[in-house]
This record gives sequence, C-alpha cells and structure tokens, in this order.
Amino acid sequence: MANDIAIVGYAQSPSWRETDLTEPQFLFPVISEAIERAGVERREIGFTCAGSCDYLSGQTFAFVMNLEAVGAWPPISESHVEMDGAWALYEAWVRLQHGDIDTALVFGSGKSSPGRPSEIYPLQMDPYTLTPLGADPVSLAALQARALLDAGRITEREMAEIAARSRKRAIGNPYAQVTGDDDPDSLLKEPYVTAPLRRHDLPPISDGACAVVLATADKAKALSNRPVWIRGIDHRIDIHQPGMRDLTESPSTRLAGKNAGVRNAKVDVAELSATFSYQEKLLCEELGLGDDVDVNPSGGALAANPVMAVGLARFAEAARQIAEHGKGRAVAHATSGQCLQQNLVAVLEGD
Amino acid sequence: MFYSRTLAAKRLTTHTIEFPYTRTLGPVNSAFLTGLRDGQLLGIKSRDGRVLCPPTEWDPTTGEGLDVELVDVGPGGVVTTWAWVVEPTRKHPLDHPFAFALIQLDGADTGLMHAVDAGSIDNMQTGMRVTARWKSERIGHITDVEAFVPEATL
Amino acid sequence: MTDAKQDDAKQDEAVDPNAPVVGMDYFMQLEYQEQLCPVVREFADALMEKRLIGHKCPRCGLVYTPPRGYCPICTVQTTKADEIELTTRGIVTNYTVVTPVQYYGQEATEPFAKVSLQLDGGGNLSLQDMPNVPVGQVHPGMRVEVIWAPDAERNVDDITNRSWGSAEGAIRGWKPTGEPDAPIDEYSDKGF
Repeated sequence: MANDIAIVGYAQSPSWRETDLTEPQFLFPVISEAIERAGVERREIGFTCAGSCDYLSGQTFAFVMNLEAVGAWPPISESHVEMDGAWALYEAWVRLQHGDIDTALVFGSGKSSPGRPSEIYPLQMDPYTLTPLGADPVSLAALQARALLDAGRITEREMAEIAARSRKRAIGNPYAQVTGDDDPDSLLKEPYVTAPLRRHDLPPISDGACAVVLATADKAKALSNRPVWIRGIDHRIDIHQPGMRDLTESPSTRLAGKNAGVRNAKVDVAELSATFSYQEKLLCEELGLGDDVDVNPSGGALAANPVMAVGLARFAEAARQIAEHGKGRAVAHATSGQCLQQNLVAVLEGD
Repeated sequence: MFYSRTLAAKRLTTHTIEFPYTRTLGPVNSAFLTGLRDGQLLGIKSRDGRVLCPPTEWDPTTGEGLDVELVDVGPGGVVTTWAWVVEPTRKHPLDHPFAFALIQLDGADTGLMHAVDAGSIDNMQTGMRVTARWKSERIGHITDVEAFVPEATL
Repeated sequence: MTDAKQDDAKQDEAVDPNAPVVGMDYFMQLEYQEQLCPVVREFADALMEKRLIGHKCPRCGLVYTPPRGYCPICTVQTTKADEIELTTRGIVTNYTVVTPVQYYGQEATEPFAKVSLQLDGGGNLSLQDMPNVPVGQVHPGMRVEVIWAPDAERNVDDITNRSWGSAEGAIRGWKPTGEPDAPIDEYSDKGF
C-alpha cells in the first residue's frame, strides 16, 4: 500500500516560441517560485529530480548545468531522467515512499527553439530501420492519425474542433503560447503539413520549464490547507516499432490508467499531454473519460509544448484545478516516444 | 565535438554536433542488412508462427529471444497506413514530396516503415499495393530500397 | 607471415562482396541556432572594448566570469548592478597538457596546455591558452597577463552561451609577466 504523497507547490515559466535566456536562467525563477509557494526551505528539500534531454539542448551534460538553478550547495541528493519531468515526479514519488525524507523538488525544462525537432527525434528511433529514414514525430503522428481516420474513430473536423477548443481555453492561461478564437471551418481550409495533419493539429515549438514540490502526508498537511494528493500513479510502455503496434489503440495508456485507478470515482478534470490534436480523443477513450470531464482547461500541449516540461505542466495544471479552482478529482497524463508509445497517468485528489 | 560561429546581425550563434558512428549489428540485423545488400527483404519467424518484418532479435510481445531464422518477404506488399510529406527534411530518404507508410510485405505479418514515391498524394490510399524500387548500388542499409512505388507503375 | 603479407591478406578480406554485412555507418549531425543570452552579450561587447567583466554575487562575493545572471551557490539572481570589471592579470592555479588524439574533428596535432587562472581581485577563468610558453614550462603559480587580439582581428564570433569561459577571438591567451611565482597559499584553494 503506497504512502500518501501530495503536491504542495508548483510553478511554470511561460512557453515562448524562442527565448534568449539559457535554460538555467529561465529555470531559476520557476524553481524559486515553486519552493516559495510550497513554503519549504530550499536546504530542507530531501530529494531533487529533474527531467530534460541533452540532445534537445545540444550539449552533453546540459542537465548538470541546470542544477545551478537548484542551488546544489551544500551537496544535495539528486537524480535526473532523460525524460519529461513527469517521470522525474514518478521517481521522486517512489523515493518518498521510503519515509526517511519528507519533501522533494521535481522539475522539467527544455529549449526546443535552437534545434530542429524533425532531425533530433529520429535519433530516438530504432537506429537500423527508422533513424536512417529520418522518421520524425510529425510523420509518425500522421501515420497514426490516418489509421484512426480509416477506422472511423475520428474525423478531420473533430481534429480541428479539438485544436480550436484548445486555443480558446488557452486564452485564460498566462503560460500558454498559442491562443485564439479560431473557427474549425477556417482551420480546415489550411493546407496539410504532413497529411492528414495540418498546422493546427501540431504542437507549437516551445521553450519553457515547470517545477513541482512534493511532500509526504504529515508534512503536506503542515504546509498546505489544500494539498493535492497523488492517489494513484503508473506508467507503461508499448512496443517501439510502429509497424508492430495497432496504432488505433494505446494499450499502455489504458493499463496505466487502470493501475492509477482513474475509474474508481468520478473525474472532474483531465490534463492530457495530447501533442497532436487527434491524440486527445484517443486518450479520453483509453482512459474512459466521458463528455462530463473538463479536458485540458489550460489549452494543453497544443497551446504550449515545452518538451521535457509539458507532461509535468499537466500535473501543475491539474493540481491548480484542485488547489485553486475547487475541483475534487483530476487526471494528469504525460507521454513519451511516438504515437503514444509510453504513457504515465496519475489521479490527483483534494480533500 | 562541436564548433560555433556567431551570426553577427542577430547575435545568433550556431553550433554543430557531429558523431561518425559505425554500428555493430548482431546476427539478426546483420542478416537483414546483408539481405538488403543482395536485393532481398527478410523477416524473422516468431515462436507463434508470425513473420516479423523488420526482423527483431526478440519477440516484441513476449520478449523471448528468436532463433536467427530469416525468411524471404516482399518485394511487394500492402500499405496499411500512410502520411504525405509535403516538405521533406534533410534527413528524409527523398527530396521531393513523398509518403511515409507502414507496408505489410507479402509473407510478413507486421508493417515495415518506409517511403512510397507515389508522385502525388492523389496516388496514395490505404490498402494499395506497392513494391520495392532497389538502388543499383547497395551497401547493406535500409535505404538500399530507394523507396517503394505503386505496383501499378512497375 | 611477414607484416606485408598479413596486410595483403587483410586487404583481400575487406573487398569480399559475399561476406555478411557487419557494420552500419551513421553520420549523426545536428545543428543548433540560439540567441546569445543578454548577460553573455554584455560580456562579449566588453571583450570587444578590451574589458573583461563578471558578476559579483551580492551575498557571498564570489565572482563569475563570464557572468551567468545568478549565483548558483546562493541562488540569487545577479544583474548589471552586480557587474564588475576584472583585472587582466592573474595566477595560473592549474593546468593540463592535452596530447591530441586524431579523432574526427580534432584539429590540433601537437600537445598543448590549457590553464586555469585566478584573476587578481577576483574571478576565475579556465581552459585558457598560453601560446608562447613551451608546454613543459607551464606550471601553477605563474603570474600572467592577457594577450588581447589586435584591434583589427579582435572578434567575438565564436562566443556562445556555452563557451565555458573561453573568449576565442578576443583573448589570444596569457603570457608570463616575468614576476616571481606566487606562493602556493595565494591560490591553493582555487584548483579548478
């Protein structure tokens, strides 16, 4: 039986198309703000875990430079995952289960603007059969979208509606990058980028960071009058080769959602890392989220996609819905790999 | 290694990372790439009798190691899903608009991702048959197949 | 077999067209283009004026050059108000002699020294050159001063956000001042 862990503080940077700050520089105030909002002393934090990707930054050990934003003196206990900060949160959650420390700092950050995502991410793919073809995220997502269209699981109009809704909700989010009051019919008139995906179906290129502070039960109750409890959390991964998967499903999402206990009670709000428009519908289906769930009130990943922080930002936004907007139960989702290959799902609850 | 140069006007700096790799292959990839060099597509048999292409060293669903028993597949197959790339990147196999597709080759039970040089998005549809167009000079590389083309055109 | 015959045998092996393919070449290349961050822009502009600047932490007094915009020990942000001009004289605190292996991209062919410096009055630089000193003579304690690139050639084209303290194009390197070596207790806690 897992120990109760809560989110007691969170902060984000805005997502920028291109910032002239370095990653440690824009991470610095985000970490400070999360710690301050949590009400903990920096030096009392028991464990720190970061999520980032050196290939994205274009520098070996870029993640080590990011520790300058944490203040690693006196020496701290820290870890790093070459993953979205949501997986750093998972590791911190596991670490806190030992019970010997009571707080953890988690953050994710990335600058997507300097490199070319279409050239960076093929390097994550099978080096013999996929990297040499330059198999990029947009092309792979387009293959999945086509499979769903062929199977009658979604229409291009529904994809445009998801995009339009995301941009509209993002208007209320000071951290979002792509906002607007677009009409789906106008969006559908735009040309394909990689058919069947149009520009509005794709995530923006974003620079940004997010930080979250976790605490064990007694500490959380002392720090906050509305801690956001992590009631369940799980992550699963599917097969790598796209041709060996049924792209019309995401069984890893389904299983992670089941293990996290999504359907144990009514879900009020869900923040999902749907980086491509069609993925929002597939994720809702796999998680069993119906029309009564408020999906991505922040605008989600279509409005701001700071890779390596976007999944953790879903935790921050879901926590905000509970801590600041009085919601009772939320789902936070993060993804990794292509076509929803690997998925992390958590259930958050307020008292 | 990386080196840098500032583009003075915008205070932009460019730096480049380059690594020349020669990857070892193991017995399965070695057999697969040797087949490609020799103008033959290959798949591997899984324990339950399916043929996997591209061939993997382990069964992707059970994790069991597979016997290095490769069988001929293709050169023709069926497009099970596709995407039309309007503006190819530098790393794509073709420099004009083309389709990426999952192609279930004849004799195989899984899809191989590759390029289809169809000429136009209007020539693509799920379920169409395509066949490999081989490069005349092959080295043992996935791009020894220059692209797949609609079977009707060959 | 003689060496020559062994080489011939290897050559024959290499061209057998029926031997299995055992390797796959992949040339990985990624380009990144990013703006110089404001604080490094200021550092670069100062170098063009033959000035070396840093930021001094208002809390602990440590001097960072190039400036980062924060002190990582105190976790406070630093600004133009914390900017100080550094002297261009100092002491070699540490050094290494690199014997260049001819890997892809390596341009040097002869051994070269890289030194760490403690600047008089504050500030540390690492990975600096001493172009006029034979590598065997570089040692900690040497008192040195800067060699600026001549006006017509001085540039900051190669400075990036990740320059690790280098100032290629503006600072050619450092040269001995001719003074006696500094005693070890003047620099022994600044080994990096």
